[in-house]
Amino acid sequence: MHNNVVSCVFNSFVKNDISCMRFNFRGVGNSTGNHTSGKGELSDVKACIDHLTRILHFDRIFICGYSYGAAIGCSTINYSEKIIGYCAISFPWDFMGIEYKEFSQSKSPKLFIQGDMDTVAPYENFMKHYNYYLEPKKFKIIKGANHFYQGFEDDISREVKSFYESILT
Amino acid sequence: MHSVEKLFIFNNEIKLEAEVFQIKKETLSCVALMCHPHPQFFRV
Repeated sequence: MHNNVVSCVFNSFVKNDISCMRFNFRGVGNSTGNHTSGKGELSDVKACIDHLTRILHFDRIFICGYSYGAAIGCSTINYSEKIIGYCAISFPWDFMGIEYKEFSQSKSPKLFIQGDMDTVAPYENFMKHYNYYLEPKKFKIIKGANHFYQGFEDDISREVKSFYESILT
Repeated sequence: MHSVEKLFIFNNEIKLEAEVFQIKKETLSCVALMCHPHPQFFRV
């Protein structure tokens, strides 16, 4: 959860007094268990959503995921009526397989952020995947950014925060 | 004054390390949930 992109967005939310949570998937940092390539991690996100709604009593949840975290996190969009939308940063459709594209289909607001130098989540395939999704949806291409977004963290934070605020109104 | 709280979330036998920043408001409250990239290929 201390990745450059995740930290920049998280810190931006904190700085602007927006409630937020980040966590480590199983087998990462001080989280117990072992990596399971998706199935277990999906249940990890759902456990966090349950904690936010049942223990901390949040009424609405916005999901933001980066790369693998986009595929996993955004695939829980239909898990709860309290999830109001998501932002996927470099969704690795070609890397993860078709099921995550299907899981992340939704009529809720969606923002997709993509670097035009990204070769892990290839930029040339972006519009093909984006066109699969139902409205409402938006995309933002970060020019000059590859999959790791070094030097572009603030641009991403601004986009995520702006989208988050737009779907609350 | 609010601060980032460290906590663990339980998913059956799995214990998940988390950080939460919670603003309490009278209006309907909303939270952003962040999901990190693949641990084998990224510094997370």
